[in-house]
Amino acid sequence: MKLFYQIITATLISLTSHLIYGDSNILNIYNWGNYLPDEVIRQFTKETGIKINLAEYDNNETMFSKLKAMKKSGYDIVVPSSYYVERMSKQGMLHLLDKSKLTNLHYINPLLLNRSFDPENLYSVPYLWGSTGIIINTRYINKKKIKSWQNFWDHQYQNQLMLLNDMRDAFSVALLSLGYSINDSNPEHIKKAYLKLRQLLPNIKIFNIDAVPNIYIDEDAVIGMAWSGDYKLALEENPSLAYIYPKEGFSTWLESFVILKDALHVDNAHKFINFMLRPEIAKIVSLSIGHSTANKAAVKLMPVEFQRSHVDNPDKTIMQRGEIQRDLDTDTRRLYEKYWEKLKIGD
Amino acid sequence: MNKFSKYFYTTCVYIFLYLPIAIVIVFSFNNAKHSLVWQGFTFKWYASLFHDSALLNIAWHSLVLGIIAASIATIIGTLTAVALFRYRFFGKKILHALIFILILTPEIVMAISLLLLYSFLKIPLGFWTLLLAHTALCVPFVTVTVYSRITTLDTAIFEAAMDLGATDFTIFHKIIIPLLLPAIASGWLLSFTLSLDDVIISYFVSGPDFNILPLKIYSMVRLGVKPEVNALCTLMLIFTLFAVITSYQSIFKKKTP
Repeated sequence: MKLFYQIITATLISLTSHLIYGDSNILNIYNWGNYLPDEVIRQFTKETGIKINLAEYDNNETMFSKLKAMKKSGYDIVVPSSYYVERMSKQGMLHLLDKSKLTNLHYINPLLLNRSFDPENLYSVPYLWGSTGIIINTRYINKKKIKSWQNFWDHQYQNQLMLLNDMRDAFSVALLSLGYSINDSNPEHIKKAYLKLRQLLPNIKIFNIDAVPNIYIDEDAVIGMAWSGDYKLALEENPSLAYIYPKEGFSTWLESFVILKDALHVDNAHKFINFMLRPEIAKIVSLSIGHSTANKAAVKLMPVEFQRSHVDNPDKTIMQRGEIQRDLDTDTRRLYEKYWEKLKIGD
Repeated sequence: MNKFSKYFYTTCVYIFLYLPIAIVIVFSFNNAKHSLVWQGFTFKWYASLFHDSALLNIAWHSLVLGIIAASIATIIGTLTAVALFRYRFFGKKILHALIFILILTPEIVMAISLLLLYSFLKIPLGFWTLLLAHTALCVPFVTVTVYSRITTLDTAIFEAAMDLGATDFTIFHKIIIPLLLPAIASGWLLSFTLSLDDVIISYFVSGPDFNILPLKIYSMVRLGVKPEVNALCTLMLIFTLFAVITSYQSIFKKKTP
């Protein structure tokens, strides 16, 4: 028993250091799971002496609700998707960036700057991005036959399809195939999209969002939608997969660094973002995580096959067909949610 | 036939309980990063686990948190159980009922209420808030475990001890604790497990500077759980098995001659 108390006391003392996190040589980052390679963190700490505390989330909603729940969350940098950047900036949760401290900002691909969700990039710096397109297994499906989202509705793919289990992503398939925008807020259009998706139900084998690559690697589904980053991971283990940009258009997703309004280490946060903007760092990140980098100079440092790949490095004509997800107003979001629930219960 | 169906039933139950765990162990040796089909045997995930200092550090955090939370909860829980059994005091019945209510309360309710409390008291989220939350989560479980054991004790022992001049402390120290040791040990192990795998409460009350394993694994689900995690889970399973066997050998065996 005595030894027991001694151990407890010793451990408690060693842990008191955690109590103070207003310490100036620290940076608290809240990022997607596995979205920041270890070696990058180590190099940053080595160069600047700033210690990084990393916490991770698995989707935007989780991150947002956690930040909303606490007035002072303690996090400095968060990495939301485009539409969450918009929502957070609207709600005054973000810190205005000091561009004079971001000397490497000019490396960013201009096509990813000044987009509708943050028109002058007052709050966000693009990090990683990609598209949501069609993935097929060429052993079972002829690549030439698949050109558009509309192909999903073909009878021959009955019970073979995988759809992402995400409201906005799933609706974008129907909206695009009907010729509407993925950010459409017209109730008529949303209803049409819902009816269209309902027709798709017999073809859908699974709605899934977790660990997407292994569904396609293990051929649990041979056609479906996927994020370009997941396609790349899947391709490593199943070379017969192919990725297609549908002709109606597709959604482009973009994860950006933002600094929170109540951040305690604003200066460190700028240093970190500027560090991440270095081409050689952006290259390490992109190669390790598999998503496309927003850093134009980094692309030039990449291996040739990466530069040539239309998935990793799509050219301007492809990129311009992509549409970026915007935040929806509350009423529209509720309408989407209503139809999404109806769809899921098969009503 | 009767014997056969008995064995068949038992086997089914064990398969149901242990097959998922067996799959994790098997896949920690699978030579593929994402695929859930067997691609060949490898030790590389174990090797890369030992080079993944971030993951190991987080596992260490979880272990430390679990041990401290379980220990504090065991002390408080045992004292509560003894108090409920031996003494009469104001509000005893209410306290007893409240402990059961805590067990039945959905974790999410506890998580939100703790978060609101911390927010109200302006306590920064981090190690201490996690420790408090996990301790609060575990105390009722320890109390119930120990209490169910203590009610089987013969009260005559305490009366005899008092007749012979033992003080309350001596009775507690020399009689109650040794007799309850198996229950206290189970309470501790139960608490440790509860703390080690709690996602819901931890998610709400964790801060930026103290990340723990269940949250790390949970955050990986979307972008693919690393195979190193399978390796880590296998190692933790071996550790747990070892802990259970030793505690069984040293405490439970002694009890039943």
